Amino acid sequence: MADLRREKTRMIQKDPGLFWALLAIWIALGIFILYPVVRLVGMAFMPDGHFSIATLREAFQDTYTVKALSNSLWLALAVSATGTILGYLFALLVTRTAMPKAMKALLSAVTLLPLISPPFTSSISLSLALGPNGYLLKLFHIPDFQIYGFLGTWLSETLTYFPVAYMVISAVLETMSANLDDAAMSLGASSGRILRTVTIPLSMPGIANSFLLLFGSSLADFATPLILGGHQFPVLPTQAYLEITGMFDLHSGASLSLMLLVPTLIVFWLQRVVVGGKNYVTVTGKSGAQSAFSPLPVVMKVVISLVCALVLAFVLYLYGIILVGSFVKTWGITNTPTMANYQYACKFGRKAITDTLKIAFVSTILGSMLGVVIGFILQRKQFIGHRLLEIGSMLNYALPGTVVGIAYIIAFNKKPFLLTGTMTILVAAYVFRYYATSIRSVMASLEQIDPTLEEASASLGASTAGTFLHVTVPLVIPAVLTGLRYLFIHSMTAISATIFLVSVRWTLLTSRILESMTELQFTQACAFSIILIIIVFIADGLMTWALHMYSVHFLKTKEATK
Amino acid sequence: MKERAIALQLRNVVKAFTKGGKTVRAVDNVNLDIEEGEMVCFLGPSGCGKTTTLRMVAGFETPTSGVITIKGKDVTNVPVNKRGIGFVFQNYALFPHMSVANNIAYGLKTRHIDPVTIAKKTKEALELVGLPNVAERYPSELSGGEQQRVALARVLVMEPSLLLMDEPLSNLDAKLRIHMRTEIRHLQKKLGITCLYVTHDQSEALTVADKIVVIRKGVVQQVGSPREIYHNPANAFVADFIGQANILPLQVVKADEHTVTVEPAKGHPFTTRKGAGFSGTPDAGTPANLVIRPENIDVLAASSEGIPAKVVSAIFVGSHIEYELSIEGIDKVVNASVPSKPEETVWDEGEAVKLHFDNEAALVVAS
Amino acid sequence: MRKKLLALAALAAVLVAPAFAQGGKENTTAAPAKEQTLDVYSIMPEKYATVIFDAFTKDTGIKVNFVRLSSGEALSRILAEKGNPQVDALWGGPSDTYDAGVKEGVFAQYVPKEADKIPANLRSADGYWTGIGIIPLCFLTNNNFLQKNGLKAPASWQDLLDPKYEKQLQMADARTSGTATERIYSLVKVMGEDEAFAYQKKLNKNVQLYTKSGAGGAMPTATGQAAGGIFYLVDALDIQQQGYPLTITYPKEGVTYGVEGSGILQGCKHPEAAKALMDWASSAKLGTVMNDNKICYVPTRPDIQISNPAMDLSKIPLVEAESTWKGENRQRFIDRWVKEVIEGN
Repeated sequence: MADLRREKTRMIQKDPGLFWALLAIWIALGIFILYPVVRLVGMAFMPDGHFSIATLREAFQDTYTVKALSNSLWLALAVSATGTILGYLFALLVTRTAMPKAMKALLSAVTLLPLISPPFTSSISLSLALGPNGYLLKLFHIPDFQIYGFLGTWLSETLTYFPVAYMVISAVLETMSANLDDAAMSLGASSGRILRTVTIPLSMPGIANSFLLLFGSSLADFATPLILGGHQFPVLPTQAYLEITGMFDLHSGASLSLMLLVPTLIVFWLQRVVVGGKNYVTVTGKSGAQSAFSPLPVVMKVVISLVCALVLAFVLYLYGIILVGSFVKTWGITNTPTMANYQYACKFGRKAITDTLKIAFVSTILGSMLGVVIGFILQRKQFIGHRLLEIGSMLNYALPGTVVGIAYIIAFNKKPFLLTGTMTILVAAYVFRYYATSIRSVMASLEQIDPTLEEASASLGASTAGTFLHVTVPLVIPAVLTGLRYLFIHSMTAISATIFLVSVRWTLLTSRILESMTELQFTQACAFSIILIIIVFIADGLMTWALHMYSVHFLKTKEATK
Repeated sequence: MKERAIALQLRNVVKAFTKGGKTVRAVDNVNLDIEEGEMVCFLGPSGCGKTTTLRMVAGFETPTSGVITIKGKDVTNVPVNKRGIGFVFQNYALFPHMSVANNIAYGLKTRHIDPVTIAKKTKEALELVGLPNVAERYPSELSGGEQQRVALARVLVMEPSLLLMDEPLSNLDAKLRIHMRTEIRHLQKKLGITCLYVTHDQSEALTVADKIVVIRKGVVQQVGSPREIYHNPANAFVADFIGQANILPLQVVKADEHTVTVEPAKGHPFTTRKGAGFSGTPDAGTPANLVIRPENIDVLAASSEGIPAKVVSAIFVGSHIEYELSIEGIDKVVNASVPSKPEETVWDEGEAVKLHFDNEAALVVAS
Repeated sequence: MRKKLLALAALAAVLVAPAFAQGGKENTTAAPAKEQTLDVYSIMPEKYATVIFDAFTKDTGIKVNFVRLSSGEALSRILAEKGNPQVDALWGGPSDTYDAGVKEGVFAQYVPKEADKIPANLRSADGYWTGIGIIPLCFLTNNNFLQKNGLKAPASWQDLLDPKYEKQLQMADARTSGTATERIYSLVKVMGEDEAFAYQKKLNKNVQLYTKSGAGGAMPTATGQAAGGIFYLVDALDIQQQGYPLTITYPKEGVTYGVEGSGILQGCKHPEAAKALMDWASSAKLGTVMNDNKICYVPTRPDIQISNPAMDLSKIPLVEAESTWKGENRQRFIDRWVKEVIEGN
């Protein structure tokens, strides 16, 4: 064992580039991931410099907080269950039925909508549609029901997060071998039986992964319950948000965050156990599956198609409300089309738009650079503390945004890291949270690339850095683009962490939208949302196109290594 | 033999892996000296540690303990790119995103050589491997054999002090493999380059190598020229692995400095050469293995002198007749390969015969 | 040389970060030379603040950077930044927030040039803050709802207890909104404390939702999701002006009102610009800008012509509640409200 340890030390000696890179990464992770979490825990346990569990005990004695904790957990459970089921239905529809290409494209675009829009846009239109005296209720003469509370939050979060489930599961369904279906069929299984005995059992990793991802997302979401939770249904992230923005009570914000931390870390751990940390979400939305799979039973196909069509129509309807809203002067009264809201958005929201773009741009570039380097090192290099680096670098991704945001304001409010009010703090929040996809897709991609290519480069005299730049990077460009795409989308739309970090000098489009919503500028908020969605949609399209172009060129030459 | 400088030296090299909490030695205390200009083959079954050893020489792996020196310089902790070695991979490892010319120029560029020289050297390297016209193509547009040559050119252009090849021919079809192995041998001799060549194919090793290193479970079994390895295997494993051999577990009856007598059948003592694996003279009763190759056994009529046996099966394969025979008291079937001539008698199944072992060719090795 | 590229790539993240931090700081340190900018925390909603600061910049050439915060957060940030204030002034927000800050010594004394035109009860006696607007509470109800249910717009607190309003009212949550605490002050002043909470317990049956922000219920009321609620006049008028069928009424028992303040922070970086803002705010200009842009704070200067008759304070049954009394009782009222109204149900 001692020999093996020495062997690893010597490997770092042999590879000084690795040493410097590791040093730099650990410094960055130390400042932007570990230090804030330590400060957060310190704030909760040592409110006045001495260790004490008083703050935490207080929190647990407060019935409202305990209720918030159990609400959070139940909500997360419900959302991950329904979201996964819905995602599975969509995945079945796309991978197991013959569907016109145009339909598939439409489906992909619509399922992308909730992912690329700010987390609360659909909440507002949902309350307009199904809230008291809501449009849909009136249309179908449904009596009022209490949408504020569990019901509305659950519905809205399910609609927001099911596309994640759909992507994770369809990726699994697509890569499943159609031969298995053939084999089962040749053994006399009906298509229903194949689904039950082959398809579903084999997609368990995808289902488990989707369940955990949705659980984590719901647990972290503060915006949806903020709008739809009402006063009877408190959840932890929203309470923590209110403690900070309402009272600026860092102590109770920290202890609420800590309560949220425990279930999150359990989920994180479970995910590593269940799926080995290998499966990951990307927004690639792979399309164009082959249709050699056994078809679904007819009745089932009809039912699934109907359900999916209904959900799609509903999502489109919700976004339709936003779109229409952005073009009218007074919501529900003066329905003559006007550009006034966009003029307003461009005049008073220009700073928010340009700030957001700048921040997203910088975060995307830095995040993917860091993601590639860390992904490369984790996948290809062996060194002491490998596991620690893997977990450490992903920590902020696993933590709810609210927790990260609160940890950041606690940590960077004072010297030595006085960063409040700077762009750095916003960029860091995005980079160290959302580069996780970059890391994971690079790792997955490297797994597919024969390491002998890099060894060949080294044996031809190239240094670690030279190999990395000339061989590794060109080969993992598709993964890098995937990471870029994800980083950009999140840097444009995420709010849970950064809502705490906006300042006089740097503001964000998403927080501007939330502000407009609370200031009754509903139509303006719609215009902001549409602008944001369009920017992201275009950027996303560009990156998808780049990915496609690169892959076409790349696939031609890729065969050589196989 | 003339004295040549030592190009590569391995001293007590160990590579251990931890697997499920247990430490496994993939390479166990290997000591080797390789001379300048030699072509050395590492031969052994898959998983024997030959590739790991090669990769440690290259610098891809770090030895758990031990020292590796190249031309007298300790390189144990020197990174790959500073060792001045060339490595040819089993899958060629051509960069798919670069043209053939760029693949070959890749290493030269890291040396900051001027572009004109690079172009010249690249061209020469392609000519050397017989592919003057593929410079602008991409690896995916080449056949397997062409890719192999490009991989070779990419390494040779660097003029490495040590050329390391890891199963370079295993991805080619049988015919091309035979062609390429002679070509590689030819190039190596022409350039006088020291070369380490890993293979699990004994015929490849026999045809290509100056020296063969037989490895089993991380331990070097024997080092020697192809002839030595074939005719004087150090132990039963080497004998079995190189070529075909009957290995009959027996006991030493008596022995002296050069010969050992065993008794394959009661009352038929057989005296033959003593193998290199024994330390000193073995006592009577020591278990040992009689090694005799099928072509060194004659099958004679029952009336002749020899070891009595029974024919289990006889197969006519054209140039030879392949017999399976059983000797009383020995569990293993004995294979004999007798040249077929028109007048030769072919013994039938079940017939009693006598066997004659060629005691010049046979050998007793330690068990 | 090449060897370190990998390290450099990773280092970039670390190195670039402080560079931005530096960039941020330069803005604040370079500015005082000209004093052309002013940093402000605004408790006043962004949509009003942008318009008002726009006008201010036009008049004075001073550019305003601001971020909108809730009163609690603004106060906490200012307290946290005491000694090294990140902004120069606080804009808007209830006067008790200012009083709390004055106690901690974060505000600088400055009596604006035309402060004497503002009644003494609408500004700090010691010159720490100056009132910029008055906002009484009011009832806001949806006309369609009233019509459909044969109701008249509520004219008394008791009218809101009508079972026809069951689960139809939206109003602010006392834990997060100053509008809600103002509502409790009004009720306590009008009914006495215990009766006020007994009343709110009854009222709770008719509440559809307690919103996080004071104005949160106004849009639902406007679109018919809710029948009505209790709001600050500024929010009620704002939504009514957008053209929705809404009626604003007052309970005959009376309502309290909030005073929006403004003040300069002690030790700020642009004191002259901050003083310019205070002078401008106490001049007739602020009132005019608000009136012209239909920003419905009732100006603190009685001499401003108001075009909207709904803002005529003489027609509103105002009840006085001192800012010190509010400050002393605020937390106790909130706790009691949570216990008896929210958790007691």
